[in-house]
Amino acid sequence: MKYEAVIGLEIHVELNTPTKLFCDCPNRPGDAPNVNICPVCLWLPGALPQLSHEVLEKAVIACLGLSCTVQPESAFDQKVYYYPDLPKGFQLSQHHKPLARNGYLDIFSGSQKPRRLGIHHIHLEEDVAKLLHETEGRTPISLVDFNRAGAPLIEIVTEPDMRSPEEAMEFLKVLRTQIRYTGASECSLEKGSMRVDANISIRPEGTCVLNTKVEVKNMNSIQHVGDAIAYEIKRQAGCLEKNEPVVLHTRLWDHEKQVTSPMRAKFSGPCVPDPAVARIVIDDAWLVEKKAQLPEMPIQKVERFIASYGLKRDEALVMSQERELSDFFEKSVQNYHQPRKAANWITAHLIPALKDQEKSINEVPLIPERFHALLCMQDQDEINANAAREVLLRMLTEDKKPEEIVEERGFRQLSDTGELETVVDRILTDNSSGIQDYKSGNMKVLGFFIGKAMKATRGKANPKILKELFARKLA
Amino acid sequence: MNSNIFLFSAASVEEDGKDCLRVAIQPNMSCQGWPATAGSKALEKYIALEDATVVRLLRLVGARIAGTTHMSELGFGLVGDTGNRAITENHADGALITDNMGEARVAAARSGIPGFKPSYGIVSRRGLIGLIPSMECWGILARKISEIKSIITAICVMDDQDFSMTCDRLPDFDDKQFLKEPSGVIGVEEGYEKSLTTSEKAAWQTAVSAMKKAGFQIVNIKMMDTALFASVHNVIGAVEASSSAGKYDGVRYGHRASNAGNWNEMYLKSRGESFGTLIKSYFFQGAYFQFENYAAFENACRIRGRLLDETMQAFTHVDWMASLTIRENHDAFKVSTISDMYESFSFTAPASVTGLPALQLPGIALSGNTDFGLQITGPPLSDPGLLSLGVSLEKKQKGGPAK
Repeated sequence: MKYEAVIGLEIHVELNTPTKLFCDCPNRPGDAPNVNICPVCLWLPGALPQLSHEVLEKAVIACLGLSCTVQPESAFDQKVYYYPDLPKGFQLSQHHKPLARNGYLDIFSGSQKPRRLGIHHIHLEEDVAKLLHETEGRTPISLVDFNRAGAPLIEIVTEPDMRSPEEAMEFLKVLRTQIRYTGASECSLEKGSMRVDANISIRPEGTCVLNTKVEVKNMNSIQHVGDAIAYEIKRQAGCLEKNEPVVLHTRLWDHEKQVTSPMRAKFSGPCVPDPAVARIVIDDAWLVEKKAQLPEMPIQKVERFIASYGLKRDEALVMSQERELSDFFEKSVQNYHQPRKAANWITAHLIPALKDQEKSINEVPLIPERFHALLCMQDQDEINANAAREVLLRMLTEDKKPEEIVEERGFRQLSDTGELETVVDRILTDNSSGIQDYKSGNMKVLGFFIGKAMKATRGKANPKILKELFARKLA
Repeated sequence: MNSNIFLFSAASVEEDGKDCLRVAIQPNMSCQGWPATAGSKALEKYIALEDATVVRLLRLVGARIAGTTHMSELGFGLVGDTGNRAITENHADGALITDNMGEARVAAARSGIPGFKPSYGIVSRRGLIGLIPSMECWGILARKISEIKSIITAICVMDDQDFSMTCDRLPDFDDKQFLKEPSGVIGVEEGYEKSLTTSEKAAWQTAVSAMKKAGFQIVNIKMMDTALFASVHNVIGAVEASSSAGKYDGVRYGHRASNAGNWNEMYLKSRGESFGTLIKSYFFQGAYFQFENYAAFENACRIRGRLLDETMQAFTHVDWMASLTIRENHDAFKVSTISDMYESFSFTAPASVTGLPALQLPGIALSGNTDFGLQITGPPLSDPGLLSLGVSLEKKQKGGPAK
C-alpha cells in the first residue's frame, strides 16, 4: 500500500532579549555556569515572577512575522512536571490562552506554486535549566546550570499540514528567515536557539484519517529534521506492513546511527492557570505600533526582487534570506545595470567567503559602494574575473577601496595591445607545433595559447584582447 | 520571648517595642535573615533573603515585627497555629495569618477577637511562601477593628512586583464616605438556619437580633449552589497547593533525606519525610486531579465562575452578606482529615473562593458562653466600608469588644 505522511512541528525559539522572561537576569547563553541567576529564576520561596515587557514585544513581533493573529488577552499556566531541570515542579507556559493563533507560511517546495502551511498557535514560555551529565569519570555525575532557567521562548505549534520531509525542511527554512528578519532570534538549531520536535503519523495515500502520531526529538540541524522524519515514515510504514500498531510515544533521533529510538511515553502534563503571573492584555493601538515596526518580510521581498531587479525566484530567495545581506544587495545595485550579476557574485563568492570566515556582512569592512565599484571595474575590463575575486576576498579583511587593492597588488588588467602582442609573439615562436595543430583544425590549441599568455602575464592579461591577437596572428 | 507562641522573635521588640504597634507574622512571610520555614520541614533552616513587601510597609509606618508565630504546615488550616495567641496573650497588637480558606477569621473567632480577610489582590504577596495562589491573602487579627484598620491601611499599597494586584484603584481606608455610620441591607442565604445545630442556631438568632437592633435590614437571598463552595475550594486548592509545593525537593534548601541511592530516590524520600500527613493527603488529592482527573479541575474552575456570578448577583440586592464564622464540633485547630478541615471552614471558604472581603466580629453571635463569630462579607473592594460597619457593630455591643 502507498502511504502518505502527516507531519506537524513544535518549534521552540529562544528570543534574544537582554533579560530573562520573568526576572532581570541577563539572558546570555555561553556565560560561565550559574552566574545569571536570582531568587526568581532559582524559584526560591517568596519570589514572584515579573513579566518582561521587552520579551513580550519581541514575541509579538515574531508572531506578526509569521502572520499570526495576536490575541487581545493571553495568560500563563503552570505546566506541571517533575524533573531536575525544573526545580519548581512546573514550567510557566501559555496553555489555555496562547499569545497568538492562526498563522501561516507559504513555501515553494520545488514548484512555482506556493503551498500554505498553517500555524495553529504560538505561546510564550520559560526555558528550563540545562543538565550536564558527566559520565566519563569513575562516578557519573549530573550538574545543573540555571543560566538558561527562565530564558524566554516562543513555541510555534504548526498544523499537521506537511506531507514530506522536504516540506518540513522548507517550512523550517522559511520560518527561520522570517523570524531572523524580525530580529527576535537567530533561530540556530546548531547553537540551540531553535529546537524542533516533529510529530509524525502515516496513512494510506488519499485518505483523511489522523492516525496515532510519534514525536521525534533531538535534531540539531534542519537536515537532521528531514532525515529523522524520513526514517520515521519508513519505520511506521514497516510497522503497518507487519501489522504492528503505532503507539503514541517520544523517540530520539540518533544522527550517528541515522535511526530514531524510543525515549519515553509522550508526556502531557496538566496545566493549571497561574494567577501570580501577569495576564497579558494587548490593545489595538499598541498592536498597530508593533505592526509598523515589522520590516518588509522576506516573502514580500522575494516578489519585489523578482519584479524590480529581474532576478529569478531562486536568486531572489538567496538575496532575501538574510536581512543584512539583502540590504547589502539592494544598496550595491543602486545605479547598477546588472542586478543579476551582483546577485550571482554575492551567491557564488561573497556568501561562501563569509561562511569561511564565520562572519556576517556587517562584521567585515566591505561596504556596498565598494562592491559596486568592483563590479564596475570588472565590467569595464579594468580587471579580469580572477582578479576581481581576489580583490573581493581582500576587501573582507582590508578596509580599502577596490582601486587601492588593484593598484597595490598590480591586478590591473593588461589591455595594452602592443605589450600583449610581444607576449603573444613569443608564445607562438616557442610553440610552433601548436600552430600546425591549430591550422589543421584543432581549435582547442587556442585555449592552450591563452592559458600560456595568462601565465606569462601573471593572470593580468585581458583575455578578450589575447583571443583577438591570437586569432589574428594564426589566421 | 515565649517559644510556645513564637518560632522566632525580634529581640528589640521586648525592650523598646512597647509604644508602637507590634505585629506578629508567620514564618511563611519573608523577613530578611529570619528563618522562613512556613511551618514545614520542607523548608527547614531556610532563611529569608529579603523582606516581604508587607514587612517593609509595616516598618515604614513605625510598626515592629514582633516575631514569627508557629503556623500550620505551609499555611493550610490552623493545626499548630499560634497567631491568635500572640494577641490574646499580649505579645503583639496585631497578627498576620495567611488566609487560604478562612484561617485568619476562624482563628480570631476561636479567640473572641476580630479578624479580617481583605479583598483578593489588594495586599502584596511578594515575599509570601504561598500555597494556593488564586485564593491566599494576608488575614489580619487584632484586639480592635481600629488596629486592623491601621494595619490594612499600612499594607494596602500597590506593589508593581506583584501581578495579582490587578485592580485599577486600591480602596482608600481614609475615605470620608466610609467613616459615616453604615446602614443598609444585610443578606442571609435562604435556609441558612436549617443547616445549623441547636447552639449554632441560637447564636445566629442572637446575631440577627443584634444586626436588626443596629439598624440593618435583614433579607433572605436565594442561592442555588452554595453547597458547592467547599468542593470547588477543595479541588482547586489541592491542585494549586500540589503545584506550588512541587519545588520543595530538598536539593537547595530544606530537609534532605540522607540515605537515598539516587536522584529520584532522594526526591521521593525527602518529600516523603518532609511533609505531614494532612498536607500530604492534600497534595495527593491535587496530584490526582492534575494527572488522573483533570476534567474535575476544569469543572471546578467553571463552577467557581458560576459561584462568583451568583454571589455578585446577590450583591445587586443587598449591601452585605452575613453568616456565622465557626462551626460547633469542628475545631479547626484539631482537625486530622481533609474533610474535617473543610467542615471547620465551611462558613469562611466561600469568601476565599470568590476573593471577597470578609470580617469576623466577636461578641455578637453568642450562644451561652460560646461565641461562634459573626462573619460579614462585602462586595469586591468594599473593605473600608466593611471595617466601618464592624466598628459600628463593635460599639453597639454591650461591654464592647472581648478582652
